[in-house]
This record gives sequence, C-alpha cells and structure tokens, in this order.
Amino acid sequence: MKQTPELDRIQKKMQPGVLTLKGFLGHDDRKLADIIAADCQTLLRLGINAAQITERLQDLADRGADLMEQEILVDSRYLVRVRDDRGKIPSPWGDGLFEKGDVDLVDQKTGKTLKWNRLTLRLISKHGFFGGYGSEYRIDPDVACEILDLKPVVDRSPESI
Amino acid sequence: MTPIITAVLVLSALSGILTLLLLVAEFFFANYGECTIDVNKGDKTFKVEGGASLLTSLASQKLFLPSGCGGRGSCGTCKCRVIDGGGPLLPTETPYLNDEEQKSDVRLSCQVKVRGDIKIEVPEELLSIKEFETVIESITDYTHDIKGLRFRLPEGETIKFRAGQFANLFSKPYDDVKEETSRAYSISSAPSDNKAIELVVRYVPNGMVTTYVFKHLKQGDKARLIGPFGEFFLRDTSREIVCIAGGSGLAPIRSIILDMIDRGISNRKATFFFGAVSQRDLYYVEEFKVIEKEHPWFRFVPALSKDDSDHPYEKGIITEVVARNYGDMTELEAYLCGSPGMIDACCKVLASKGMPADRIYYDKFS
Repeated sequence: MKQTPELDRIQKKMQPGVLTLKGFLGHDDRKLADIIAADCQTLLRLGINAAQITERLQDLADRGADLMEQEILVDSRYLVRVRDDRGKIPSPWGDGLFEKGDVDLVDQKTGKTLKWNRLTLRLISKHGFFGGYGSEYRIDPDVACEILDLKPVVDRSPESI
Repeated sequence: MTPIITAVLVLSALSGILTLLLLVAEFFFANYGECTIDVNKGDKTFKVEGGASLLTSLASQKLFLPSGCGGRGSCGTCKCRVIDGGGPLLPTETPYLNDEEQKSDVRLSCQVKVRGDIKIEVPEELLSIKEFETVIESITDYTHDIKGLRFRLPEGETIKFRAGQFANLFSKPYDDVKEETSRAYSISSAPSDNKAIELVVRYVPNGMVTTYVFKHLKQGDKARLIGPFGEFFLRDTSREIVCIAGGSGLAPIRSIILDMIDRGISNRKATFFFGAVSQRDLYYVEEFKVIEKEHPWFRFVPALSKDDSDHPYEKGIITEVVARNYGDMTELEAYLCGSPGMIDACCKVLASKGMPADRIYYDKFS
C-alpha cells in the first residue's frame, strides 16, 4: 500500500490536538499506509476479517446500551460499560460525524481490555485502520481475535479482508 | 548516475519555478477585492474583503453560524443556503450534505470561499446570535465529573435567550491543541439573569474543550462564548409537562423551571425526573427541593440506577421510574435532555404511555 498525498492529509488530522485531544496514532511513527498494511497482514495470518471484529464489538456495545452507563456482564465473561457523551467526532477521512461515547470492555477470562467508540468501528470497517500503537482506542487484531474468540473464515483471499 | 542526478535537479528546479509562478499569479489574480454578502434577500448586507471562507467572513461581521470544529470542515454544522455566488459544490462538503440539502443549495459555509458577491439564506434566529468576551465569575464542582461555570458578560451587555437553548464555549490553545476550539453546552441559568451565563460541563475523557475547562480554566480567566442556539425550549401551551434528564442534561431543564417561576407560570404541573447512577452523580438536589416546597406545581424526582445504600430517592433506570409514575400520558408534553441512548429509551416509554411523538421535545446531546 502506498502512502498517497491523501493519506498524508488524513494522517495530519490524526495528530493529537487536531480532531481529538490525543489523536489516533498513539506513539506510532509509521506511515498511515504501513499501519493499515501491517494490520491487514495480521488479519490474513489469523484468517479473520475486519467485519468479524466490528460486528462482534457492535453486538457487545448494543448489549451494554440503554443502561445509563451501568456496567453489565455479557456472556458471563465480558464486563461492558457504554458511556454516553455530548457531541460528535469527525472521521479523519472526512466521511462523517460519529456520536461520542466510549465502550469499555474487560475480558474476565484473559484480563485484557478493549476500548472503542462508533468512530473506531467505522475506521476499522471502512478504512482498515485499527489505531496506532499506543493509542488507547487501538483494536489490535491479535488481541481482538483472542478476546472475542474469533474463528478463521474459510475464504482467506485478500479481497475478503 | 550523473544523468539521474541531473534529471532530479532539473525536475526540482522546474517544480520550484512553477510554485513561484503560482504564488505570483495568486498575488495578482486572486485578489477578489470587496465583495457583498446579501443575507436573507436584503435583510442584512455586508461588505467584506474577498478570499476568506464564508463562515469566517460572516463571523467578521458578527453573524455566527453554528460550528463545532472552528471551520476545519470536519463537523458539518455550519450549513446555510447559498443562493448565488457560492461556486460548485466541493468534495469536502458532500459527506455532510444529504441529497435534499444538495438540491436546495445548502452548503458548508466553512468550505465556500467568498470570491465575489454572494447571496445566502440563514434561519432568522441566527441573526440575533452574539459573541461575548466574558470573564469566569465562578467555577463550581457539582459532582466528580460535572462542573458549573458562571460567565460574567462585559459591562452593559445582556444576552437574550430562551430557556433550554445552548451556547458555544471556546477553549484557548493548550498543550497539543494549537487552535481555538469550540463545543456546545446548554445554558443552565434563567433568561432573566441576563448579565451572565451559566453552563454545566461534564468531563469527556480526552475531550478537547472539557479537558481545557477541567484542567486549565480558572476563575477570573477570560472566555469567549457565542450564542444562543437551539430549538429546545418550553412550548407555549397549558399542558402538564414531564422533564427527563441525565448528567449535564439537567442544565436546560433547570433553566426552563427557573424561567417558569420568573414568568409566573403556575397553571402547568411540571415533574422533573433526574436519572443518575449513584448519589455521587446527583447535584442541584437542594435547590430543586426548595423549588418543590415553594411551588406546588413542581415535583422533583431524582432516581438512582445503581446505588444499594439507604437513600430517599427512587430506585431504577430513569425510564422504569417514569413508567411506574404515570398511567396514561396522552395529554402531557415532554422535555428530554441527555444522551441519544437515554432519549431513545425515554421516547419508547412515553410513546407506550400514549404520548404523541410531536409533543416530545429533546436535546439529544449531538
């Protein structure tokens, strides 16, 4: 994948203090194209696709929604808390505004955690961007696969990712 | 090797010359001179220097369109109809405009450059929006994550707003935030208290403006506000009202109740359900209890969804509490302020109790 001028422009918007206080990249200093390509390779290695991750995360978020920010135990394993905040966050790709509000998940089996919001899921599903290393919103495909117990899909071609 | 280096040098030199030519051309040809902005078919006309965005040009004339991102083209809120002179729709605008808006010449004013005379249409109420350079009179910790801020307006200035509306608060650059940023917050004070504005701000983790408010803003600091905005206000009927809020959603409801007292509206029963998780999330309880005592038409019902301690409040999620407090709600009117999830859940309950959808008014925090 090539780092186009368009990706340069998007990566600038991902810096801290532009669209969000801490940005989208954490301490990751790789080019955006490389970040996306590396995670795509991980998905290929695992034999899973982005939709498997986002659909499962959305399902968990839905089950914790409408509870006025109360924590809920889902599937006797995941502690989920959905926070509602005022306002919307713009996508760095300029393809929409997404309601704020984080979902915090603690996997009681592994002790590992995930944090995401509506924009996180959009960036994964539409742009293959899982967050930079060190970003608290990074959904590492390896970690997600382990926490969410995702099984490989039959089709392992790059097009299915 | 030498031919490659020569080619690179020649290409670089050519690029440099072209850039220089473009800069020179821009200097001579991109001078748009004085342009006229006609607002609402002649209601207002402004003479501005061409070249800036429509949003900035209007703001320079003290006409403020709502903007959540300060003109960066990323929030999609600074819309207005550009009837003439706006140029073609840009790819940076289309993600924020639906088909109907695009057909009706609605544009993002931050993306439209003023290059000549331009005719626009904006909602009438935007013409009364003002900018205020205020001073922070007080900052109060209401809960562990909610603060109340009181802004004193400049000497001699007043604000006219409807109870329930909101204002945009601007943060100054700090840490990694290099530009002024604004966010919308509901006004919690009464319209009669018109020499100051009170806002309620809940801390948003990593929020650019709430972090500024919680970590940098101090009493005595200057702060810029623009407002009022919004369509959330008490409708002029005689119906009994039910208000439901959570978190900082209390702000506009407080303003509405204080306004009812000021205006002597005592013929409408009003019940305010305030949902919180535990006692540490409650605030303004004493004030509302005093209002309840002094005004028989008002009832305050705090409800805690997860607090097993011995407390005098209702127990359960706010929707459950509302549901068990009412039978038929066909003749009532509702005012809701909170998260989209809370609003949606409340709308379902109210509808199941017979309340028509067009009598449910809400500020969905978005």
